[in-house]
Amino acid sequence: MVHQAFKLFESLSVWENVVYRREPRRGIFVDGARARAQVEELARRHGLPIDPKARVANLPVGVRQRLEILKALYREAQVLILDEPTAVLTPAEVSTLFTVMKSLAAAGCTILLVTHKLNEVMAVSDRITVLRDGRVSERLVTAETDPDEIVRAMTGHHVTLQIPKKPREPGKVKLETEGLVVEQHGRRVVDDVSLQVSGGEIVGIAGVAGNGQSELIEALMGLTPIAAGTVSLDERDVTHESVAAHRAGGLSYIAEDRARTATAATASATDNLAMGFHRTPPIAVRGLLQPQAMRTWARSLIERFDIKIASEDTLVGTLSGGNLQKVVTARELAHNAPVLIAEQPTRGVDVGAIAFIHAELLNERDRGHGILLVSAELSEILALADRILVMYEGRIVAEFARADADEATLGLYMAGGARV
Amino acid sequence: MTFAFFNATFFDQAVLGITPILLAALAGTLSQRVGLFNIALEGQMLVGAFAAVAGSHFGGSLQAGVLAAVAAGALFSGLLAVGSALLRGNDIVIGISLNLLAAGLTSFLLRTLFGVSGTFSDSAMIGLPRLGVPGVTSLPLVGSALGHQNALVYLSWGLAVVIAVFLNRTPWGLRLRGIGEQPAAAVALGANATQYRLVVTLIGGALCGLAGLQLSLGSLTLFSENMTAGRGWIAVAAVMLGRARPLSVAAACVLFGLSDALGLRLQGEGLPNQITDSAPYVVTLAALLIAGLRQRRLTGVLS
Amino acid sequence: MTVAAEVRTHLTRHVGPLLPIVGAVAVGFGVCGLIALWVGLRPSLMFRQLIKGAVEGPQLFETVARAVPLVGMTLAAAIPLRAGIVNLGADGQLALGGCAAAIVALYFPAPDFVRLGVALAAGMAVGASYAALAAGGEIYAGVPLLLSTWLLTYPAKGLCGYLVRTSLRDPLTAWPSTSRIAVGARLGSLIPGTPVNQGLLLIAVVAIAVIFVDRRTSVGFELRLRGLNERFARYGGVSLRRQTLGVMIASGAIAGLVGSIMVLGSQFRYTDGALTAPQYSWSGTLAALLAGGEPVGSVIAAVLFAALQTGGFAMERSVEIPRVLTMVLQSVVILFLAMRGAIWKRP
Repeated sequence: MVHQAFKLFESLSVWENVVYRREPRRGIFVDGARARAQVEELARRHGLPIDPKARVANLPVGVRQRLEILKALYREAQVLILDEPTAVLTPAEVSTLFTVMKSLAAAGCTILLVTHKLNEVMAVSDRITVLRDGRVSERLVTAETDPDEIVRAMTGHHVTLQIPKKPREPGKVKLETEGLVVEQHGRRVVDDVSLQVSGGEIVGIAGVAGNGQSELIEALMGLTPIAAGTVSLDERDVTHESVAAHRAGGLSYIAEDRARTATAATASATDNLAMGFHRTPPIAVRGLLQPQAMRTWARSLIERFDIKIASEDTLVGTLSGGNLQKVVTARELAHNAPVLIAEQPTRGVDVGAIAFIHAELLNERDRGHGILLVSAELSEILALADRILVMYEGRIVAEFARADADEATLGLYMAGGARV
Repeated sequence: MTFAFFNATFFDQAVLGITPILLAALAGTLSQRVGLFNIALEGQMLVGAFAAVAGSHFGGSLQAGVLAAVAAGALFSGLLAVGSALLRGNDIVIGISLNLLAAGLTSFLLRTLFGVSGTFSDSAMIGLPRLGVPGVTSLPLVGSALGHQNALVYLSWGLAVVIAVFLNRTPWGLRLRGIGEQPAAAVALGANATQYRLVVTLIGGALCGLAGLQLSLGSLTLFSENMTAGRGWIAVAAVMLGRARPLSVAAACVLFGLSDALGLRLQGEGLPNQITDSAPYVVTLAALLIAGLRQRRLTGVLS
Repeated sequence: MTVAAEVRTHLTRHVGPLLPIVGAVAVGFGVCGLIALWVGLRPSLMFRQLIKGAVEGPQLFETVARAVPLVGMTLAAAIPLRAGIVNLGADGQLALGGCAAAIVALYFPAPDFVRLGVALAAGMAVGASYAALAAGGEIYAGVPLLLSTWLLTYPAKGLCGYLVRTSLRDPLTAWPSTSRIAVGARLGSLIPGTPVNQGLLLIAVVAIAVIFVDRRTSVGFELRLRGLNERFARYGGVSLRRQTLGVMIASGAIAGLVGSIMVLGSQFRYTDGALTAPQYSWSGTLAALLAGGEPVGSVIAAVLFAALQTGGFAMERSVEIPRVLTMVLQSVVILFLAMRGAIWKRP
């Protein structure tokens, strides 16, 4: 099985990852040379080029995907389960993957593709099983169905994934960064990035995960030290200041890792929703907490965002992905900040909640706030953004107005092609 | 002061000082590599030290003492194995309580089994005999220190190498490393993480038992309350400094052993023992600080 | 919600977490009973002596007197623990604080009463500074507090031991100790005829302050949430470095205060090793772990341990069971709790 979150040993090499628990041996020792040769042969045979000696920690995401598939092939899998495999691939890499999948299927392998992307399902599958609320909703044959029927089976009704956007003139520049450089382990993971977000606009950053987007966002928030360049909020320089100063300066942040970063699983909804508001009225007066105000605050947010939770005292670790994302979104939007950074705001979230969150984001924009949207979902970027930037290997390699952007061109830049 | 300062006794003391820390640190290294943070080294060593003396006294022979030390260390580590490896409880809490439990238990047993408090010593008890390695013993200054030690000292050096080879070159070492690094990935590929953790913890307990044996029967033959005096914690620091790589950890242990001997030597020169006793701990701290500062400069990471 | 559902929620929330503690204590007693049987004693007799020794007549005041430093050291351990930090250097901070208080009380040129106040303050300041040193090591060099605090206790105790044998030495006594502190500079007795001194009031104030800050202030909120998820706290704007420094200073100050109280309120001199002999820091750490760093639970656990230890002493005198058994009991309780995994993933 190839999981959505890769299960790789970062500090070990490619060949060690592939042969783990099926190591070719020489006496009681591992036969490294034979292992590397076997990995190379396997990779060549299936059109998945990889360097057996490379350390996984240094590999880009697309290559790690290949490694995951190689692991399965090495174990001579007859049934291959792929869980959301294209979340981290460029359009070009996706079509390579599909070619590999089709050739494996032709060789007799059974492939189970778990995905929420309709275009993939239509492109590569033979039969489709739709799940809804934990039950099988429909079994379809790809050749005899269409996306609309699939959506109906998924949600029970037609869901418009395109929310009509009102055109809006962007206002003042609220967030600006110039020549931003972030270094890790001697490498520039963010390489001379300059961008602006104005009030009333959504700026989308498209790019395959692992090209510096997370590091860029963390630097903008003050979570990571900056090697060079500046960050200003409303023309105030906040470059080397604390996270608290950034938030006070007008930034709020829907973090991509909702379980580990954006919430505390063993804390109640009340506590989670109060974070960031716990030093100011009404939740705190002169440093003293007001418990009643905290509960009222929590309850109002739960109601407004339709968060399905037993009570405000429930620990948020028990919530589903979609509900947890709503908790994070509710809290960050409640800051009413001039600029909101939204990182993968609808990853792993059900269709209904996606529509809700998208509507809220557009609402923010219409109220004159700026949004910096980072997403691996091109459809999300295309649906929401007014301006689209493409990030590749730590640099902004392209910028488009929404009207000038299409999936093919974006995909090309995301993959590093067409460098000017 | 220089040459006469570092005399043969100094090196002998150093080697003696390194051994228990090295054995415990190797136990800690294995635990760390399999993903467990073992800070109960202190307690396991103490239990081993007591068991060695008890076994040697009541069993009447050195072999009984060795057996008792290894068995007691492994048995005591069973608690750690169940709590940490099996039930996945909090390593730090379990470690601290095991250390305290060991101190209380050994003091209690000292009183009830031997009828004394403080120290038990019996001149009839045989300690670990010193061996002689031909050729090495004739080396100047370090000859006696390197060539005239007991079997356990040589075993500890050998184990450092064996464990290094095991981790890096054998299939089980690879699997162990995988389990420690990314348990989810290892389990997904069919590794039995719990089994590895249990076995590593028990072996670690045996190693700590041997460390305790070295303490109580290695040079003098006695047991005194809390005789480990923080060596288990120094072993934890060694594992951290050596980044859980057996040979680097061994190097860290050498550093601490030398500073321990330095403290004793300074005491011999007349410096007050309250100050010199702190030598290994201060050296450990300094080493950790220097390593940490260098790390910060390299990765440019601030807290 | 219906009445039944409300009662059930209330029970699960408040009584639920106590059940494993009760269970752990039961197991602890069980294990000690078995040990007693093994060495040829009757457990029922042993436990009866234990309880009588803790609360009967004048023993109750002994328990209270012991609870003062124990509650103090438990709080010193609990404050950092709430944030997920372990301070194993309480012994060093305790010794330095007590030594500093003795020095001020003996040599500071000022009237008696003023000397007392300055001595207490000095004890707190020295304890706090020493703890801050360890915090600095973590913040600027990434040296784990778990290790640095432990390692620092040795030079601390060594320094005090050295001073008390040289410049501070009282030539009239046989053992390494300072001179006796003048009556006017001592903490007076609170309940005449008992060992309970005014230190009780000081520790009570500290306990109330800690509980209040933890439950009702933004600072306490940030501390608690950091203990639950450090990344989340940082992401939400909490300054981890400031917090680390803050909790260590508070912890060291309380440990130093306890040392000062012991010197000024019961021992009336600083004697090498006398402050650390009762092992209040270890019991305090255990009690704090038992309560998961939560202040009210910590105080309750500390009082419980005080009763156990006083009873243990009495038990030793009457039934000749070594009192180290109470340490064993405490450890078993914690161990059992720690094994229950889920609750303890926090610190």
